[in-house]
Amino acid sequence: MASSGLRPWLAATRCLKKTALHPSRQPVRYAVTSFSNNEPLKSVEDWRRFQEDRAEFKMLMEYMGQYGSSQTRDNVFQPHHSLHKPLAPSEATLSALIAAGAHLGHSKSLMNPNFMPYAYGVRAGITIIDLDHTLPLLRRAANLVRAIVSRDGTVVFVGTRPDLRVTVRKAAERIGPQAFHVGERWLPGTLTNKLQMFGPEVSKEQRIAPDLAIFLNPLSNMHAIRECAIQHVPTIGIVDTNVDPRIVMYPIPANDEHPRTAELIAGILSVAGREGRLIHEQETQRRAQANERFKRGREKNAAKVSTVHD
Amino acid sequence: MAMSILRQPIRTSLKRTYSTTRPFVPPAALRDIDNAPRQRTKPRPESPTFYTARSPYYDQLNSLESAIQYSRSALTKFQLLPLPAFARDSLPHLHPVWMDKREMGDALSSKLTTSRYRRVTQLLNELNDHRRIAHAAGCEDLGEGIESIVKLFEKKNQEAILARGKRKPVKFDKYGRSYTLGKRKTSAARVWIIPIAKPSAVPQGQSQTPEEQQPDKLDLTLTGLEDVFSDPKAKPTIPVTPATVLVNNVPLAHYFPIPADRERVIRPLKLTGLLGAYNVFAIVRGGGVSGQSGAVAHGIAKGLAAHEPAIEMILRKAKLMRRDPRMVERKKTGMAKARKRYTWVKR
Repeated sequence: MASSGLRPWLAATRCLKKTALHPSRQPVRYAVTSFSNNEPLKSVEDWRRFQEDRAEFKMLMEYMGQYGSSQTRDNVFQPHHSLHKPLAPSEATLSALIAAGAHLGHSKSLMNPNFMPYAYGVRAGITIIDLDHTLPLLRRAANLVRAIVSRDGTVVFVGTRPDLRVTVRKAAERIGPQAFHVGERWLPGTLTNKLQMFGPEVSKEQRIAPDLAIFLNPLSNMHAIRECAIQHVPTIGIVDTNVDPRIVMYPIPANDEHPRTAELIAGILSVAGREGRLIHEQETQRRAQANERFKRGREKNAAKVSTVHD
Repeated sequence: MAMSILRQPIRTSLKRTYSTTRPFVPPAALRDIDNAPRQRTKPRPESPTFYTARSPYYDQLNSLESAIQYSRSALTKFQLLPLPAFARDSLPHLHPVWMDKREMGDALSSKLTTSRYRRVTQLLNELNDHRRIAHAAGCEDLGEGIESIVKLFEKKNQEAILARGKRKPVKFDKYGRSYTLGKRKTSAARVWIIPIAKPSAVPQGQSQTPEEQQPDKLDLTLTGLEDVFSDPKAKPTIPVTPATVLVNNVPLAHYFPIPADRERVIRPLKLTGLLGAYNVFAIVRGGGVSGQSGAVAHGIAKGLAAHEPAIEMILRKAKLMRRDPRMVERKKTGMAKARKRYTWVKR
């Protein structure tokens, strides 16, 4: 047993004996506090009363909330906000990236030498990514997504991990009918073996090759990246420190492991895509109106010419 | 051979003309050119999961997940989620019967592997749980909405499957007769039990008073014997209804000459005190005498339980409701009979 003089940090372990850690002596912080007795609920009236009790308790908490902290569930950060309330490309800041853990790379020994321009340094055995490079590249990628979607292009979000599945789905839904998502394994041959994958009718009648592919974990989807290169599809990808950034056309150097980073980046790109969709809709409206005016003008001219001739 | 057939449609359908330079346009025609970007002729795919190459399956999965999210948020708004342990225990038990893999694949129009099937059933179980909570708490609209989705994936003969292993309720015909089956060893008995109509208790030669008009009630102030001894012509006040037991159209005493067999048949009626209350008609086939008596007793017990559910516990405790599983054991090779071994020889 170490004496407290030589190793003072061990004094705490000496104080906490096993008996003190026994559950019966610990304060009961985890008990369910309810204002009604915990009898089994049999009839619909019992359930009604149960619901009303809960609602009353919540109202009481809300009422008392005005006397406490001004932070509420709505104005404080919640983990689901990165998915449901994404940032716009103009709101992307260095602090947002750091908060999402985008600067944390992989181990120093696994660093790809081609990643050197985007690395800031090494700390605690891992490579830190330089976010001063990440931010403009992220903005560039957002501009690209906006431009492609505004010209009626199709975008595919690829995130083949279980935690990325919901992210890519939400991002695609945000952009609208021009966006697609692949949340599970990308089947090899989707773009290069269209006939077998989709059948002769679909491969003849629909445009299969997308206009942009966004990879949230490019290292696991090398087959998909190769297919995009063969089919001349531009690619955006989140490249981590163990990945060569040249595999995708528009790399975004960031952490590819943390779901929060992926949610942040996919959110920014999807908001840019949504803006592009609005631009596209406005353009089509404007062009339709211009066509209408042109046609009417032509008809008028034709009428004038005929009257002159007569 | 197959590849050359495939190559032909590729050549015709996916042929593209590449023009790397702009075509020449005479200056007079320049103003007629439409400078708008070239419109795409082919439409884009409709489903957002097109690039998974398993579009129908993933679309269905996504819609199920959306349904779960919607019902979860609705139940949270109604203060029904998250449920504490005591409330969850008071919910009725779930017995879902989902379609099997092949049927589910037909419903989702895609061939399902075991892992995919398990994933779909997991989502359906969660949705079913939400339905149960909604119904228990009286949120009928939400419950019906969830049910409309869940019903598409339930097996058609769900009730039949859930009723397997349970005792089917005994049906009565229009005359109030029950029909039950009894078995013992290799005998099988078909038993009809008919309740005897209660007679009006008006004994001859006695004046009627309002108290005496209740035939079911026993007059405990006087014993019947006093009446008999006082007046030799008087009849007893307790009405007696003789019950008939016919086995293969033959009275009980004739069909079962051995008293033990007769007792076995009557035992259910004796234990429950219903000796004069029911008439029994049985048709029994197979086996021997005591086997047939056991089969009739089993049938009578089941029929009595159908007529009067209150006495079922008495019969169950007396093991009369149980079909005796003892059957003749088969003879084994190397032995003289089922258990009898041949004489052991030292050498």
